[in-house]
Amino acid sequence: MDAELVLKLYRNMWVVRAFEQGLEREFKKGNVPGMLHTGLGQEAVQAAIANALRHSDAFFPDHRAHGLLVLAGTPGQKIMAELFGKATGVCSGKGGSLHSADPSVGNFGDNAVEGSMMVTALGVALAYKMQKRDDLAAVIIGDGTSGRGEWHESLNLAATWKLPVLYCCVNNGYAISTAVGASHATENLYEFACAYKMQAVQVDGNDVVEAARVTAEAVDWIRQGKGPFFIEYKTWRWQGIFSGEFRPEVEIRYWKEEHEPMKLARDYMLKHGIADEAALAQIKAEVEAEVEQWIAFALESPPPDLAKATANVYVGWEVAPR
Amino acid sequence: MKRMTFVQALNDALDLLMAADERVFLLGEDIGHMGGDFGVTRGLFAKYGGERVRDTPLSEAAIIGTSVGAAMVGMRPIPEIMFADFLGTCYDQIVNNAAKMHYMFDGQFKAPIVIRTAAGGGFGGGPHHSQSVEGWFMNVPGLVIVGPSTPYDAKGLLIASVENDNPVLFLEHKALYRVRGDVEEGYYSVPLRKAARLREGTDITIVASMKMTHEALAAAEELAVDGISVEVIDLRTLRPWDQQTVLEAVAKTGRAVVVNEAPKMGGLGADVSATIAEECFRQLKAPVQRVCGLDTPIPFSVPLEKVILPNKDDVKTAVRAALAD
Ligand SMILES: Cc1ncc(C[n+]2csc(CCOP(=O)(O)OP(=O)(O)O)c2C)c(N)n1
Ligand SMILES: [Mg+2]
Repeated sequence: MDAELVLKLYRNMWVVRAFEQGLEREFKKGNVPGMLHTGLGQEAVQAAIANALRHSDAFFPDHRAHGLLVLAGTPGQKIMAELFGKATGVCSGKGGSLHSADPSVGNFGDNAVEGSMMVTALGVALAYKMQKRDDLAAVIIGDGTSGRGEWHESLNLAATWKLPVLYCCVNNGYAISTAVGASHATENLYEFACAYKMQAVQVDGNDVVEAARVTAEAVDWIRQGKGPFFIEYKTWRWQGIFSGEFRPEVEIRYWKEEHEPMKLARDYMLKHGIADEAALAQIKAEVEAEVEQWIAFALESPPPDLAKATANVYVGWEVAPR
Repeated sequence: MKRMTFVQALNDALDLLMAADERVFLLGEDIGHMGGDFGVTRGLFAKYGGERVRDTPLSEAAIIGTSVGAAMVGMRPIPEIMFADFLGTCYDQIVNNAAKMHYMFDGQFKAPIVIRTAAGGGFGGGPHHSQSVEGWFMNVPGLVIVGPSTPYDAKGLLIASVENDNPVLFLEHKALYRVRGDVEEGYYSVPLRKAARLREGTDITIVASMKMTHEALAAAEELAVDGISVEVIDLRTLRPWDQQTVLEAVAKTGRAVVVNEAPKMGGLGADVSATIAEECFRQLKAPVQRVCGLDTPIPFSVPLEKVILPNKDDVKTAVRAALAD
């Protein structure tokens, strides 16, 4: 892969990593309200997806895609501020971690009812097709949603109507605690997509070079008007469960050490002489410093104007205050 | 003016909307060459083609989700859910997606979809083809619920709903589909959130909607023979409903009967009567009466169904009770 692209992907993976680590730290301090799901461990998937999309596409991020929202082009401080519930956030603090949309970069926002976006994405893709645009709708979705009816309704219709939908199935092995294979007829979810007669592949989601290559190819394929494409990224999330870690030692060691996405990228670059240790350390330091600025911005930002509480319920109609 | 059925008026509205605006498209089950279970989309497939009159599988969540997604990027979808009873299968898409999107993204997206669906009982449809579902949706901020009672309003309100930028649940009462009425030719709209005064009266105000409006009018006609002057208000938009018109009317007559086909508990009638009690307490000469469906599912057997659903005689009884106080 082109050296410059690999370097960019590596930097972007660090954006995801540093964003989430900073966020987690602030969450523990009590500065971030609500619930927290992080994308730690899934940096390569997010960098690969961001790399393949353009602003005129639509993407529906999942609940671990904070970093992707920034990689898509929204200033990092506006995403961070949204997660802190501040006036300066992309949705004025009304959406939070699970609903940080920014249409200017094609970010159509997450839907916290997991899997429901599967059919919303269909509609965007159908409209783009009717409007004769060559843009696509991507939906980023966890393995745990594969049991939803809408998941299957979506695959069936995207294939039947040949819609420009990119399915990015982030298979990190578990729903909250239930293993994929324990609750689905297959643990290789792309097999479901095969049954719906669409193009479907499984890739190593921790190998950014491979993930980025396959994602870009899928996007090309869709833009040629050939219909939907389903990618299953095999990956692993660092975050266990609310009550703590439940996964076996060997599994943790494999994904967090031997097959860790930053390590794989670093090995690739050193092996191909793309960068040396010092250059890579500098990338990390630069990104981390930038993320600290976003956090500082979010901390200093004011809360939303209280009138926002009743604003934008209806288009054009007011809702009475108490 | 032209005499036409409720179905023809709706069909006319869809035709005019599709001719006027190419962003408008229809999707639903068997709406294409068949023209829908009740014939509301008849002829439109031949005229506008399968891209804009799109047959779907029995995937209700996808019908609504697809509509929402398309609306987010500028289209004006009019999905059809064959029977309102099936809205449970796409409830999440309506409640958590369509209705909340504008708010949770703080105005960056809107979801102007108009969900047409056949509601209401009285024909032996049984528990899954007869329900009045507005109560399921009354507690959903961001959603508009419309329920016309005449062919004229059906056409004008459907056009107004599609012109509006909010998601609309458009309830078509099955018992009204074959009702005839005068309908203006050409494109016109009837304003949302505006109730209609169907009959002037001085003794008591009945607030109703859809088929119950007809029961109320029939009751009013018969009560007039006994010298009772009844005012009938047709809500037309059920959420957000027209408080001003209703409260002014009740303040004038001092008595109110609220009629609702759906079960009494937690329904639209509860909200209307509670609001009247809150706002008109001092003008009220008697407690507000509610005439609603019984708190049961809807049975298949027609005599049993008649026990459950309210009719003009129940309305008359309630009026007399209110006047006795
Ligand atoms: C429809 C629905 N059911 C349940 C939940 C609660 N929930 C939140 S995340 C989650 C697990 C999702 O697993 P997966 O899709 O694999 O995503 P991961 O967290 O592993 O990235 C569950 C059950 C939800 N938000 N929505
Ligand atoms: Mg998972």
